[in-house]
Amino acid sequence: MNNIIISLIRDSFSSATPILLAALGGTFTFYANVFNIAMEGMMLIGAFFAVLGSYFFQSWFMGILFALISGTIAALIFSLFALYLKTDEFLTGIGINMLALGGTTYLLRNIFSVKGAFVSPQIQTMPKWDIPILRNIPILNEILNNHPFIVYITIILAILIDLIIFHTKFGLRIRATGEDEETARSLGINPDKIKFVSILLSGILSSAAGTFLSLGYVTLFSENMSNGRGWISLAMIVLVRGRPLGILLISLIFGFFESSAFSLQHYNIPSQITSMIPYIVTLVALFIYSLNNMKKEGNEA
Amino acid sequence: MKSLNKVMTGLIGITISFLIGAILIKIQGNSPLLAYKALYDYGFASWFSLSSTLNNATPLILTGMAAAIAFSSNVTNLGEPGQLIVGALIAALLGYYINLPGWLGIIVILVVSGIVGGLYGAIAGVLKKYYKMDEFITTLMLNFIADYLTLYLATYPFLDKKSYVPATHMIKREYFLPVLSGLNSSFFIAVIMIVISFFVSKYLKIGYEWRMMGYNANFSKVGGCNNENNVIWVMFYTGFLSGLAGALLILGGTQHRFMKGIGANYGWDGVMLAIVGGNGVIETSIFAVFFGFLKAGGMGMEFEISIPSEFIMVLQAIIVLLVVSTRSTISYYGNRIKAYSKTKKVVKVDE
Repeated sequence: MNNIIISLIRDSFSSATPILLAALGGTFTFYANVFNIAMEGMMLIGAFFAVLGSYFFQSWFMGILFALISGTIAALIFSLFALYLKTDEFLTGIGINMLALGGTTYLLRNIFSVKGAFVSPQIQTMPKWDIPILRNIPILNEILNNHPFIVYITIILAILIDLIIFHTKFGLRIRATGEDEETARSLGINPDKIKFVSILLSGILSSAAGTFLSLGYVTLFSENMSNGRGWISLAMIVLVRGRPLGILLISLIFGFFESSAFSLQHYNIPSQITSMIPYIVTLVALFIYSLNNMKKEGNEA
Repeated sequence: MKSLNKVMTGLIGITISFLIGAILIKIQGNSPLLAYKALYDYGFASWFSLSSTLNNATPLILTGMAAAIAFSSNVTNLGEPGQLIVGALIAALLGYYINLPGWLGIIVILVVSGIVGGLYGAIAGVLKKYYKMDEFITTLMLNFIADYLTLYLATYPFLDKKSYVPATHMIKREYFLPVLSGLNSSFFIAVIMIVISFFVSKYLKIGYEWRMMGYNANFSKVGGCNNENNVIWVMFYTGFLSGLAGALLILGGTQHRFMKGIGANYGWDGVMLAIVGGNGVIETSIFAVFFGFLKAGGMGMEFEISIPSEFIMVLQAIIVLLVVSTRSTISYYGNRIKAYSKTKKVVKVDE
């Protein structure tokens, strides 16, 4: 029994990582007031190009590099339309998501001539980190040690991004732009530039989240493998009003539910039912959030 | 003038998209000319291809219209994929289990599937009214739940054990919608729904209230409309349209049963169509036929010169982005030029 709980907590970290990573990117756009629903697509693009790079160069590093470049390009396309051609941000996001879904499936068929999923021994998985300090602590070692290294980087990033947004000049500028664009402009900040940087950061982090999907969790690419995780990230940002540390906490709770849903399959519960759990958990979380909000408003009135 | 502008910017966007598409085809080592000829041949050139264009357009007209009516009422219904798939499953089950004479059965199946789709959509409306939950995220989450729930039902309780993939039983033959020399009669049902929706939004009080709510929510509230209830009604009506689209896929499609992937991308395509069509019922329907043409022609491109049919999805996304961006760029910079020339005039007068 103890073992099950330990492995559940351990799995929570890997389930939480892609959602957390994408949500951290979304934090920047959230505070800069960019309606960014392209995270889903950027994650999918990242997942595909990670496999592509890793397969052709047989190196996980090239996989990640490819993914980050592709995420940057997706962010550039988003900025081109949303910022410079003044296209509706919502539509741009949907367009990017469609482009990602159609494009990756199309490339999957064109480059690897497969439909559905691509698996190959040539794809290199990202390395796991063995942390010496943890080795001697019994339970903590089992929970925290030997994860793919992105897991650790993501947790550090959450703390770092919290500092950036609330304690640096750049963070202040992002929040000022999001709060009131015109005032920010009058103070000599270029809102378009701030928005551009925030989109770029969200593209890079979302595509990094994608690499964890295709090179961390499993070693393959399958069609539409982001499967709504980008949207769950968006829901989480809304839930904690963008605070990175809040996202860290809630994504771990979420990861716990996802991994327990996964282990329910061992008890003969059909996978279609357990797969519903992340989305139901998100709905329930939003529900509790709004109940709390209404209570607060009731108290104030 | 305004609608002419919309047509013109639409044409410019589509032309550029086709040029970009041509470059992509060229990079793939195929001839763009042959590819676009196949697109035209299979999508428009003969009655056979025209009818398959219209058949492909049928679900898109309904989901596009659903998204358009919701958006123009300032309700973000992104739940069309879920509402469609729920409607499709209900139609497949009713078509197998109920015993009614042909026409009556068809009507009952269509109406009930639509209502169930509508109720599924109304969940988000109710959550919005009583708990102020943003329908943008609730409808998205409900999509995934609908996806897995219907798949579960088709894989376990209602599985047809003779089929090779998870699928329900085939519906009774008398509920198949008739095909008129290639054109499925479900197309006419979609056209009837265009007329009804146009009538509702232009001539009925409730449609007027919906539009007012989209135009200015506070104004409509002061004017005595019950916005919260109207959100639920918009969700129900647009969910009905999507559920109906799903039912037509079962009664009018080729498989006549519910199986994985039957919803394809119809729901999301509908959302894009609504935005390209500027949330107008008629404009959206016209673009839906155009997307139907791309889908039918895309098959041709796959048959004739083996360009994967996913290419059409890429092309659609490019078209949507370019059509809307041309429109917004022209109006944005157009306004700036106007403002600039106006200030020039004023300055001159002052001098």
